[in-house]
Amino acid sequence: MSTVAPSEAARKGPVNWALLLPWLAAIVFLAVMPLIFASNSALTIMNQMAITIVFALAYNMLLGQGGMLSFGHAVYMGLGGFFCVHLMGYVENYEWQIPTPILPIFGGLFGLIFAIVIGLFSTRRAGTVFAMISLGVGELVAACSLIVVAFFGGEEGVSGDRTMGPTVFGFDFAQKIEVYYLTAIWLVISALAMFFFSRTPVGRLANAVRDNPERAEFVGYSARFVRYYSFCASGFFAGIAGGLFAINFEILTEENLNLVTSGSVLLVTFLGGIGFFVGPIIGAIVFTLLQTVMSLYTDIWQLYLGGLFVLTVMFFPRGLAGLLFMHWRPHQLGKLGTLVVPYARMFVPGAVMILGFAGFLETAFHARHAAQGNEVMKLFKFEFLQYDSHSALPWILFVAMMVAGAYGCRRLAPGLKAAWDEANTARSA
Amino acid sequence: MPAAIELKGVTKNFGMAEIIRGVDLAIPQGERHAIIGPNGAGKSTLFNLVTGKYELTSGEIRLNGETISGLQPFEINRRGLSRSFQITNIFHNMTVFENVRCGLLWSMGYKYSFWTPVNTQKKLRARAEELLEQINLADRRNVVAGVLTYAEQRALEIAITIAGGASVIMLDEPTAGMSRSETSAMVDLIRTVTEGKTLVVVEHDLGVVFDLADKISVLVYGEIIESGLPDAVRASDRVQEAYLGTTHEIEH
Amino acid sequence: MSLILVNLIDGLVTGLLLFMLSSGLTLIFSMMGVLNFAHASFYMLGAYFGYQISTYVGFWPGLVIGPVLVGVIGALIERYGLRRVHQYGHVPELIFTFGLALLIEEVVQFFWGKGQIAFNVPESLKFALFTISGNAIPAYKVFMIFCSMGIFLVLLYILTRTRVGMVIQAALSYPNTVEALGHNVPMVFMGVFGVGTALAGIAGVIAGPTVGVFPGMAIQLGSIVFVTIVVGGLGSLWGALVASLLIGWITNFAAAYSFRFSTIFEWLGLERPANMAESLLRDAWTLTFPQIGPILPYLLMILILVLRPYGLFGKREV
Repeated sequence: MSTVAPSEAARKGPVNWALLLPWLAAIVFLAVMPLIFASNSALTIMNQMAITIVFALAYNMLLGQGGMLSFGHAVYMGLGGFFCVHLMGYVENYEWQIPTPILPIFGGLFGLIFAIVIGLFSTRRAGTVFAMISLGVGELVAACSLIVVAFFGGEEGVSGDRTMGPTVFGFDFAQKIEVYYLTAIWLVISALAMFFFSRTPVGRLANAVRDNPERAEFVGYSARFVRYYSFCASGFFAGIAGGLFAINFEILTEENLNLVTSGSVLLVTFLGGIGFFVGPIIGAIVFTLLQTVMSLYTDIWQLYLGGLFVLTVMFFPRGLAGLLFMHWRPHQLGKLGTLVVPYARMFVPGAVMILGFAGFLETAFHARHAAQGNEVMKLFKFEFLQYDSHSALPWILFVAMMVAGAYGCRRLAPGLKAAWDEANTARSA
Repeated sequence: MPAAIELKGVTKNFGMAEIIRGVDLAIPQGERHAIIGPNGAGKSTLFNLVTGKYELTSGEIRLNGETISGLQPFEINRRGLSRSFQITNIFHNMTVFENVRCGLLWSMGYKYSFWTPVNTQKKLRARAEELLEQINLADRRNVVAGVLTYAEQRALEIAITIAGGASVIMLDEPTAGMSRSETSAMVDLIRTVTEGKTLVVVEHDLGVVFDLADKISVLVYGEIIESGLPDAVRASDRVQEAYLGTTHEIEH
Repeated sequence: MSLILVNLIDGLVTGLLLFMLSSGLTLIFSMMGVLNFAHASFYMLGAYFGYQISTYVGFWPGLVIGPVLVGVIGALIERYGLRRVHQYGHVPELIFTFGLALLIEEVVQFFWGKGQIAFNVPESLKFALFTISGNAIPAYKVFMIFCSMGIFLVLLYILTRTRVGMVIQAALSYPNTVEALGHNVPMVFMGVFGVGTALAGIAGVIAGPTVGVFPGMAIQLGSIVFVTIVVGGLGSLWGALVASLLIGWITNFAAAYSFRFSTIFEWLGLERPANMAESLLRDAWTLTFPQIGPILPYLLMILILVLRPYGLFGKREV
């Protein structure tokens, strides 16, 4: 973790279990998941999560570790992906012997090459200038993708076939489950590598340069060079994510390069928490779940997501990981249990308020946009929650829920605060 | 032996304003040199010129005989010059231990390595622990630097400054904002850790100055009006007039 | 010749429109150090408000009321959103404005749907003012030009000749001093942000009928606006004007002349590849000027950032 260093005292013997256990747990978890959720759609979601995690972790090398905000990082993932799809094409058409499992390396290398070139001038300054350049480069490449049809395939993009390569241990990766395990293995390798990187001198200096570039210069490091290093490493891993994307979806388009993709990885990473290594992981999982699950139940899920993002920036900028780690101190003090009841009590008015607000929005949306004559709506697409969106009753109900919920939260807030303070104070011996 | 730091005809203009107007100064190896002067005299600017933050308008600066004017701060640092800052400049999101360790990485040869995990480097850790002991922050090693007290942060700043083993240490108002006892502790610390090194200190607390310094230079309006042994400086009429004012300001 | 004149006019229209957006953005940046990623979203809001108001009381009231509404919303966002996030630093500020842009796009879709809205040129201006060898120049375009120029002059006057302008200029560089002198700097900030966004709103109302009103408006123009202020120099109003006009003309001229790059290659003696479908360089041979039009601003920005990081007229450190 970049901000909270695990106590050195946790090392017992040659193996640091505090560090090792989470990784082992994650590996077991990844191995076991498809046995629990075996359906095709579940596998697709899990693959998507894995790819997003790699991309978000790579992005956080820049943002969280290095303090560099980029609005154009999709470029490195996209370029890596495009390169891989072309390689797949050569494997298919010219009998090149590249086994599918090692394709992501090439994606990474291609992303790295581009990062090396672009980083030469883009990493000179950090902050706003860097963000602007990244935006410009991102838009430039996305715009070029429609011009350079030979590489980017124009509007249709480029497709490939992952099953055409030489088989590996008998696998040809036609099955989704095979792709899942391949992706999962790459996920673990990449995450380990990125974690490892953050513990090397360059990785530590990246944090230092983020916090205080002037100071970093006075311990002998060129801030600019450190940023360049982080940038290139980040481009490499983004390229790997691109390669995984190519294997999974077998098609890359201009969408993989544009501002929307760059924006969503920013959203994902920030939501998860940029100050923690696990932040992007949490963000990617939650975001993918929200995206796939919410879109089944509502048409305005993007509105909810946008609102959630803005609220996160305003009120809990440390992200979901930050929220979780806030509970570290109560846990250390053994007082985590004391928070269960206050949270449960706050949950009720909170849920009522949020559901009321959501219901209000859903009804308003339906009333405004539903086709003429289609008065009846199903709240969150549930059959048993049918009503006429133009009648007054649902509106009144939702407003009442919002007001009641808000009032309830208000009343309970001081109690929650007191419980929180109590849970965070060590009782003096 | 060439002088540790040598300034020759150094001037600095910001637009039309002449901030430093021709400074000549030579500080021999191992000397403890204080630079004093009224506010606005240009002391911090002088520091920033030597350490490479600002470009000289004219003149030359030499470190151990080698010209450093025009080099980047990190290049100057690698040649053996280190500085602290007037406003505490530490890595506020990292722990105390990590702060000190960062100060050591380059000088211990790690450079831009991305294949060695720092946690396994025993020598690195040992050296960092040593430094922590020296500044009495060993038991605060896992505290995030941003929440330390002011005096603790200043001590940490000193540790980072000397960590790299630089032979020339420049401290910018190290005791600013400290109480009596904190100041006294800081002076002892400075004296211990800069043993055998060249020290250049900018200070307002004249008690500290006369306690610590071998030689003093007085900077007024971008010019050095007097430079020499503490007693000589104190007795100088020019200095009295321009800066020291009434004698009761000097606490000794 | 006539084509050049038409393109000059079109370029002027685009450029001045861009200027209305970039002037507000660069003012906000130089004052508060925050690059408002959502600036183009206020432009979009202006267009939508202008449309909605025009359906009730007509275009002209919409031109006045719409931007005022946008400005008020902008000021409120500054007061309750931006100011809060400001304490976390520059990066969270940028992220906040980015999130805001996302949110505004969703909100717009919530109220008006995903399709294009039929915001029409007002009847009173729906005629050709004059023609240049057969190319009709619509009166609306001329109106756009005069409107933008008028706003620029008003802005210039306020900033350089009035007391408020002086306070703003001072607060641009020394906010703390200005505050110590008794001026309500937070109020000034809120005001500047409000005015900046209102400017964007006006641009939206004016441009709406010609560029089309749809949820993707903001993204379409957003990055170009950033390019403009970076090229012109962050914080410089004149720089914003010059850069806007430059980019307006470049993109319009590029779109108008179907110059083929193969002409240059052939002039250099290079051979056209025999099998165009297979050749790797086939895009270079089919490349036309209109195709690279959209990327020229970005190339320009990168060039400027590399060669002259302060921008053409920049004073403040970028």
